[in-house]
Amino acid sequence: MSYESPIRDMLITGGKTYSDITKEITRPIENKPSKAWWIGFGLSSLVLALWLFSTTYTMLVGIGAWGLNKTVGWAFDITNFVFWVGIGHAGTLISAVLLLFRQKWRMSINRSAEAMTIFAVICAASFIVSHMGRPWVAYWPIPLPNAFGSLWVNFNSPLVWDVFAISTYFSVSLVFWYVGLIPDIATVRDRAVTKARKFWYGFFAMGWNGSTRVWHRYEVISLILAAISTPLVLSVHSIVSMDFATSLVPGWHTTIFPPYFVAGAIFSGFGMVLTLLIVAREVLNYKDYITTEHLDAMCRVVMLTGTLVGLAYITEFFVAAYSGVEYEQYAFINRATGPYWWSYWIMMGCNLLAPQVFWSRWARTTPWFIFIMSIIVNIGMWFERFVIIVTSLHRDFLPSSWTMYTPTIIEFGILLGSFGLFFFFFFLFMKFLPAINMAELKSIVKTKHGLELEKHYTDLLNNNHKMANNAHDTKGDSVHGH
Amino acid sequence: MDTNKVILGIYEDPDHIYDATKKLIHDGYRVRDVYSPFAIHGIDRVMGIKRSRLTVAAFIFAMTGITLALTLQTYVSFFDWQINVGGKPFLHIPTYIPITFELSILCTAFGMVACFFYVNRMVWGKNADIIDIRVTDDLFVVAVDVIPNKTNIAALSELLKSKGAIEIREKEFED
Repeated sequence: MSYESPIRDMLITGGKTYSDITKEITRPIENKPSKAWWIGFGLSSLVLALWLFSTTYTMLVGIGAWGLNKTVGWAFDITNFVFWVGIGHAGTLISAVLLLFRQKWRMSINRSAEAMTIFAVICAASFIVSHMGRPWVAYWPIPLPNAFGSLWVNFNSPLVWDVFAISTYFSVSLVFWYVGLIPDIATVRDRAVTKARKFWYGFFAMGWNGSTRVWHRYEVISLILAAISTPLVLSVHSIVSMDFATSLVPGWHTTIFPPYFVAGAIFSGFGMVLTLLIVAREVLNYKDYITTEHLDAMCRVVMLTGTLVGLAYITEFFVAAYSGVEYEQYAFINRATGPYWWSYWIMMGCNLLAPQVFWSRWARTTPWFIFIMSIIVNIGMWFERFVIIVTSLHRDFLPSSWTMYTPTIIEFGILLGSFGLFFFFFFLFMKFLPAINMAELKSIVKTKHGLELEKHYTDLLNNNHKMANNAHDTKGDSVHGH
Repeated sequence: MDTNKVILGIYEDPDHIYDATKKLIHDGYRVRDVYSPFAIHGIDRVMGIKRSRLTVAAFIFAMTGITLALTLQTYVSFFDWQINVGGKPFLHIPTYIPITFELSILCTAFGMVACFFYVNRMVWGKNADIIDIRVTDDLFVVAVDVIPNKTNIAALSELLKSKGAIEIREKEFED
């Protein structure tokens, strides 16, 4: 039996019963999509078309369609890659880390956050593949026996680690997400009235019957999946950071990178979760499920991780100064005052300063304000990657190689288009799958019996308080000794 | 199973079905299974379900992943074809750690979930042998075996009702 706290407020509002949850969460699946959904889906499809066009153009013309050059070889594309991988991290953090810490407020948001992870990693992977220039040989980083003089991949290279890390991350997240979906897919199956729905949800529900034996095993594997996903999520962005940190480029060659990247990933991921959930709770009318308390909790995480990355920025500066390495020192002075100074200060402003508003409770509980803040966080984190990549590269070791980097319109098209790709999947997800984990949510709803219990305990607690107060009144100061 | 017939007690509240199951087991009835829309914590222990050995499977798969990854990397970069990249050592275990870690996680996740599907006999497209269509929505069902000439159906129904069952009915399995 679950323990029901007599003091804490409920995590979802509106006094929902089990069947309310089923009805309301399956409503978007069982009914025709709303106007807001069509507008959102239509817009994302348009932007997706832009992505298709820009990517196809790049494939046909080659990487020359972009503004990068010999000095700045990793530019927009890798910035976007790191940005999207970072976005993905909040999903696993919410579903795995918060599960291990028994943070039950995650239950309203974990499904959509996990979906976000999967779609963000798809976006990230698309950047890697297009940066290869020859996407048809994208399988080369996989260690396969081959006909090129027995060449294997170099296992000392963090780029190869990254291939393994990202693909593991994607597949494990997908498995975790799917396993979590099965009971809810079964719910949709058992409510289905149309033949197609009955067939497809029945197909993917894998014969789920709600037996206690199955639930027991389900709980066991959920816990283990969470336990293995937790180090996984930390490892993935650590490895992404090693793509930079194991090189010798001043500004990249720092040991702070793994924790700094992980904090940044969680920060940007939560920013994106907030953007999505504020839209989802409006479009799907889930305000009772994703309450302002949920937003509050997420804003606290945003503030904490934003401050952490801010600390990392300052630490980098300090380390550069303290190391006495003039190249390192130059790299950081150049970031803040060089030709790309504006990107540095956008990063500082959006990531370190802006989230400090979340010290105020008003800021943490006002959806429209959080929405604006979440966009600011996304912009800031995109610029962080831009700063790391472009400002570190554009002043090469040889001053004759010094150059500037300007993105082309095609690169902007791919960046904007990737949001289309992301939201296209997300809107489909909102239409065809339960956007909130019904089975988990039902386990935290108080039943009539539960509410009676709660009243009982609250009364008991109040009586105890009364008794304690009475004791205090009669005994006077002696009670303070306890 | 020596019987195909079960009595179903249908409940609205997880606490009630928990109490009912506890009482049923205590009184010596054979509880076939309890079906619920979400995991009722503790009821597995009441029913005497042994702790799943999927944890052991997970460990074995993790070890498989580690072995696989180390073997692959050592074979490729040391035994099969050594490539000199900036004079780095050919056999360098520390740089193998990230991939070994990732592959162990990958094997654990896929292996364990595959075992989970196997032990539950779950497969894509399988028809659900669902006991009552409402157990995936808002009701909780306990299925008690009716052993011929032994189970007193009237007493059983009375017990189920006393614990708050909203509906009691019989069901026969075909197999």
